[in-house]
Amino acid sequence: MKGPIAMLGGLIVIVVLWSSFFVVNEWEQVVLTQFGSPVGDPITESGWHFKTPFVQTVNRFEKRILIWDGERNQIPTYDKRFIWVDTTARWRIKKPLLFLRSVRTVQGAQSRLDDYLDSAVRDVIGKHKLVEAVRLSNRVLDLVPTNDEQPEVREKIEKGRDLLIAEMLATAVPKIKDLGIELIDLRIKGINYVESVRQRVYERMITERQRVAEQYRSEGRGRKAEWDGRRARDEKEILSEAYRDAQLIVAKADAEAATLFADAYNTDPAFYAFVRTLQSYEKIMGNNHTLVIDPDSDLYRFLGALEGK
Amino acid sequence: MEIPNSWNPSSKEWSPREVTRTVGLSVVVSLAVIGIWTSYYTVAPEEEAVVLRLGAFVESAPPGLHFKLPFGIDRAIKVPVTEVRKVEFGYRTIEAGRRTTYAQRGGDDATLMLTGDLNIAAVEWVAQYKIKDARAWLFNVLDPEETIRDTGEAVMRAVVGDHTVTELLTDQREQIAQQVEVKLQTLLDRYGTGVQIVTVKLQNALPPGRVQAAFDEVNAAQQEREQLEDEAEKEYNKLIPEARGAAKREVAEAEGYAIDRVNRAKGDVARFVALVEVYTLSPEVTRQRLFLETMERVLPKVKSIVVASEDGVLKMLPIAGSSGAK
Repeated sequence: MKGPIAMLGGLIVIVVLWSSFFVVNEWEQVVLTQFGSPVGDPITESGWHFKTPFVQTVNRFEKRILIWDGERNQIPTYDKRFIWVDTTARWRIKKPLLFLRSVRTVQGAQSRLDDYLDSAVRDVIGKHKLVEAVRLSNRVLDLVPTNDEQPEVREKIEKGRDLLIAEMLATAVPKIKDLGIELIDLRIKGINYVESVRQRVYERMITERQRVAEQYRSEGRGRKAEWDGRRARDEKEILSEAYRDAQLIVAKADAEAATLFADAYNTDPAFYAFVRTLQSYEKIMGNNHTLVIDPDSDLYRFLGALEGK
Repeated sequence: MEIPNSWNPSSKEWSPREVTRTVGLSVVVSLAVIGIWTSYYTVAPEEEAVVLRLGAFVESAPPGLHFKLPFGIDRAIKVPVTEVRKVEFGYRTIEAGRRTTYAQRGGDDATLMLTGDLNIAAVEWVAQYKIKDARAWLFNVLDPEETIRDTGEAVMRAVVGDHTVTELLTDQREQIAQQVEVKLQTLLDRYGTGVQIVTVKLQNALPPGRVQAAFDEVNAAQQEREQLEDEAEKEYNKLIPEARGAAKREVAEAEGYAIDRVNRAKGDVARFVALVEVYTLSPEVTRQRLFLETMERVLPKVKSIVVASEDGVLKMLPIAGSSGAK
């Protein structure tokens, strides 16, 4: 009869031991509760720990960073743009005791976060222009000639997305702190016009592009005109310079020839006149011409001499 | 194995002692088998193992065969650290079993983003990453993969929101991808995900479907601009050298004329000078000779000669033997 009793005793010892220590994993933190009320400090150190068997319950909580994913909110911005905003946040259970008392579970926490964060997002977005939520900085935007429908695109932003998020956090964090939750950050995951507005935006984009296309075309025509003008100018310049140079050369040659002639002929002008007259006759009188001469002229005398023979 | 009943020694006489021994032995043997079975593990070449002892981290183990405390006291969690994984945004590779909750290409809200000039563009991109710290990957963030996706979407939209649609679609794509890579890495480090971003690539950045044609038109217009300019430049390059040639020709012709003119003048002058020399020797004879020689050459060509006398009578001189006479 000793065997079974020993075995039973052993079994009881094992069960008691089993129930008096527990393992905390790296990613967990634990709050011990006794009949529902917390006992002692939360255990965040991983490894094995003791507890009072049977009466204390182990409540495990995540130590890792958790994701909160916001509802896709339709919000009108300050400048009356209808957009939806999709946000996401990272959070962590910072004070498990507080967490256990206020929300108990991760699902509970998520729904409280929904309340606080969604309203913070809605408030802040609604108080600002759309550009403030879209842009990060006043990085110089290479803007195309834009529609007058959208003057705000040209304006400088005052805050930008990061500061807007900081404002959202500023309103949400104090409330969330009471839940034992640390909000690590909040980000805008998506932002876009609501479907009905989007079609109008597409129309605007199309006209904007058409304007850009038109600009390119006229730039093309302008550059062509520029080249044409340069060509005409250069052509005129080159040809007129050549004309000028040619005329100078001709004039110089003419002058040189004239000097040569003058120098030579001045030695005996009368004789030159005579020789030149003869040359002229030769050039002037052609075939079948009728020659009218004066009886006083040398030619007549010459002809008379012929007749007299 | 049937547990022997000591109170009913029907087949064989088993004393309670023997029963205890047999039971004890089988317990010890099975414990030993389980102990051996759970006291080693192998880590594949692409993996790293993180070992937990009663839930607490003790060590990381490289690839190979390793021993650990049995019975679940030690747990080895294997993490593929060298494997390059990817997250796709805005589209998915068609692959069975993978996540299929994300939109097809060209599609819907997952790809559409607002640009800094409040236009809409569809961006499809992919991020490749490695697990650089297995311990951090396991213990710091609940769902690191979802965290990468979430953060990636947020970062990409933030960066795209700081560029114009033109920049996004044309020349700034590389820079955008790079900025996203840097910012994403910074955030993931802040969360302690233990992730190393390998690359961020913009697969596709397109205007939304309806607007595509207008963007194509812009491209066409840009080409048209280049083409017009090119043609005008070509025309310039064709005509200006021609003009230069014509100019050189004109100058050269003038130079030819000049040479001709001067040389002829020199020739004429030389001839005249020679004549003058003769003339000064015997003026009268030379004059006569020159006159007559000229007349001889000239008169045969003349048809008729009319002499206008002082009294107004015109007298025709017949010219015998002249070629012009009829």
